[in-house]
Amino acid sequence: MSDETNQREPVEKVIELRLPSKLGYERVAMDTASSLARRMGFHAERVESLKTAISEAVTNAIEHGNQQDAAVKVVVLLTARDDELIVYVADQGRKPLDQDCTTPTPKIEDALERDDKGGWGIWLIRELMDEVEFTTAPSGGNQVRMVIHLEQ
Amino acid sequence: MSTSIYLQTMMELTLPSELGYEVVARDAVAAFACRLCIAPDRLEDLKTALCEACINAIEHGNLLRPGLRVQIRCRVEVEQLIVEVVDQGVSAFAPRSEPLTIVEKLAGLGSLRGMGLMLISQLCDEAGFVPSAGPGNCFRFAFYRHPMA
Repeated sequence: MSDETNQREPVEKVIELRLPSKLGYERVAMDTASSLARRMGFHAERVESLKTAISEAVTNAIEHGNQQDAAVKVVVLLTARDDELIVYVADQGRKPLDQDCTTPTPKIEDALERDDKGGWGIWLIRELMDEVEFTTAPSGGNQVRMVIHLEQ
Repeated sequence: MSTSIYLQTMMELTLPSELGYEVVARDAVAAFACRLCIAPDRLEDLKTALCEACINAIEHGNLLRPGLRVQIRCRVEVEQLIVEVVDQGVSAFAPRSEPLTIVEKLAGLGSLRGMGLMLISQLCDEAGFVPSAGPGNCFRFAFYRHPMA
């Protein structure tokens, strides 16, 4: 057996969650991811960061990508590896994500002047996760890939 | 209520068929059920029933084989929350015709294990195996959302 084949492949455990596009169900994704992350050995503080990021991503998928149509699903894929947790959140793309919105640098001063104080979700996700990438889901919808590394 | 509305409030979860992952399933289904009018003590019953059903699927239906999956489907209807736990049917479920009672088990007449189905039936409003679309065993249990006093 060669050295290459001796190198251990990362062990992956995949959990798939399909949720109705209804606000409030992001809690299910948060608690599922939290349960898995605790099992993997993430520190409590990192688990809270993960929950916040997933909450923002699923809320975006429900509100924007699926336009709150409860009949269509938000798909959350959680892949647990030895050293990281990879999270995919995908919607059906009723409203495609403007790529210009995926690298925001919001200013608190601007937000204070607006009636709508929202728009911080993607910025928060980028602050809390170790890797973030916006792509197209296999369904054709919007998809965000987030990675959080497990520090031993 | 139409079927389409049932479908809107359905959640599906698939997870590795590995002991320990029943806890992840428990936390997911508990979060789902929290959104319904289910009393806190009934929620604890639901969590216990789900864990038992998942362990049965992992240990018996999938025979602890690595690489297999367990699927959980939760559906909200007007009167009840229905949960289905489906394995991949490596082993068909074959219940004992006359399961031993707890007293008989404590008397040493059989293994102290194997009380999961009995426990589930005590905790849920309805429970039992139902025909499955695929080769797997499908165990369904239900909790009434507004149980009669």
